[in-house]
Amino acid sequence: MNSMQRFSNLLAGQPTDRRPFTLVLSLYGARLTGCPLDQHYSDPAAYTQGQAAVRETFLPDVLFAPVCTALIGAAFGAKLRFLTGNAPIIAAPAIESVQEWHRLHVPDPDRQPHLLYVREALRRLVAEHRGQVPVAALFLAPFDIPMMVMGMGPWMETVLFDRPTAERIARDLIPFFVKTANRLFEDGADYLLLPCAFASPGIMPREIVEQFSRPILAHALAQVRGPVALHHLDHPLLSYLDLLAGLPAVSAFSLAQADSLSRAREVIGPGPLLLSGPETQLLRKGATTEIEAICRAMLEDRRDDRRFILCNSGADVLFDTPPENIHAVRHAVESFGSSPA
Amino acid sequence: MPIATTPNQTEPALTDVRQSLITLIKQADRAGANELLDAWANRHGHEEVFKMLLEPALTAIGESITGEKHTLAQAYVASKVAEDMLTKAMNQPGGNAATEPTKGPVVLGNAESDFHALGRRMVATMLRSKGWVIHDLGNDVPASEFVDKALETGARIIGVSAMTMTTAQGIRDVRREIDARGLSGRIQLAVGGAVFLVMPGLLEEVGGDGTAANMFAAPSLFDRLWDQSIQAEATL
Repeated sequence: MNSMQRFSNLLAGQPTDRRPFTLVLSLYGARLTGCPLDQHYSDPAAYTQGQAAVRETFLPDVLFAPVCTALIGAAFGAKLRFLTGNAPIIAAPAIESVQEWHRLHVPDPDRQPHLLYVREALRRLVAEHRGQVPVAALFLAPFDIPMMVMGMGPWMETVLFDRPTAERIARDLIPFFVKTANRLFEDGADYLLLPCAFASPGIMPREIVEQFSRPILAHALAQVRGPVALHHLDHPLLSYLDLLAGLPAVSAFSLAQADSLSRAREVIGPGPLLLSGPETQLLRKGATTEIEAICRAMLEDRRDDRRFILCNSGADVLFDTPPENIHAVRHAVESFGSSPA
Repeated sequence: MPIATTPNQTEPALTDVRQSLITLIKQADRAGANELLDAWANRHGHEEVFKMLLEPALTAIGESITGEKHTLAQAYVASKVAEDMLTKAMNQPGGNAATEPTKGPVVLGNAESDFHALGRRMVATMLRSKGWVIHDLGNDVPASEFVDKALETGARIIGVSAMTMTTAQGIRDVRREIDARGLSGRIQLAVGGAVFLVMPGLLEEVGGDGTAANMFAAPSLFDRLWDQSIQAEATL
């Protein structure tokens, strides 16, 4: 049974040979191939080779198109800095304050080079692993894109203290969000992974998520033509799951290791996929026995939850994570056995 | 929500005013918080605002948000309210932003290749509200620049902020620079940033002398490190 069959059976309520699992190993592909990171994040062929190496080495059930939110900021004109051992970051925002927003040119996903790089890498991944492994692509919600364009401080200031302007900007970005998301689905993405900073319990008060973030997300996702997984970022998401459950297109939630999965299942109902697992920091520094034990405990906790998928929590797996720690996750899944129908 | 009073009205209980301020900040109501503080300042002066209202409120918020109810937005609003009051206090005739005897100076900045300024700026505001003199070097600061500035200004503490695991590794260079120049102990290295919250052991890994769980805990950390510096120098 290959990964695609495993997922098909899982979604159809049929038994599987084992639980599906995945890890976000977008950056890690470069470690496996030895590719310089500036090439990894600009050359679709190089990136695709990294994901092929990830698949060959760790056998995850989902591969990822480039996971790099800074590229979205760069598409608006922000300046990138390439690092050793990490995805590129934004060294200079496209604008310094919200007052400059009007002079920005919203990029076209059919023409902008950074977005075309992501799309081409995705297309190559889909072509290379078609029918065998699902591929997920990452994008940002309309209310998070300005954070990558002007920086966290100015956008936080706008959302908190000038809500009409924040709403106008976020709503103006919905067409760009919808077009790009749908292009990613047309390119073959099986899932869209959507971290939501400004709908996170670690960042925004509940009232602002209710009044600002959720309505924008609902409006945007209603126009998206594919399934979406909301991601917890670095913060537990459980306390806002009631706000995010039931949004259009959302059929999966990626939660933090600290979130209660049984409580989360109660909140979201039986339908959506639930993803969680060891944090990236634990994967980097933990002992293999500890990581495997944590994974086994989570699988045992979710034994009767057919729609649970083991996945690292937090962001991309860190570059200096020992490979044996990643193998430990796979070992836990393989030894746990088959999934009930 | 703000407890407004007129000269003819009875003064509201201080604890009630503090609680109102805490509530306003937690609701991200910067304007409401400022209105409340301005009303108090008109009656009692800006220095009293800091001593009687703002500092206790910020301390209480800091204690309450160390759990799961912490949001970055609430901390941000608290820092902006503190910044607003500092600005107003400075603009008073003979005004001085410091509400306590001047402390420091200290040097702050983001580690090399780190451009996440928000946390550093919030910490700087908290420190200033406690009377610390800050030399803020901004983002992407090379290790040598931190130490040069500390020597130039007589700072006993260098505070380095980093958002990610990768950029936090740049703090090792600051540690090496301090040690290489024979300044260990004399110059204390404070570190902070989101990555230190999620990764126990990173403080020791990068060679920091101390870290704080959030911006509200930064002043007490700097007090402690300043004392450590003086003690270390005395034993040399």
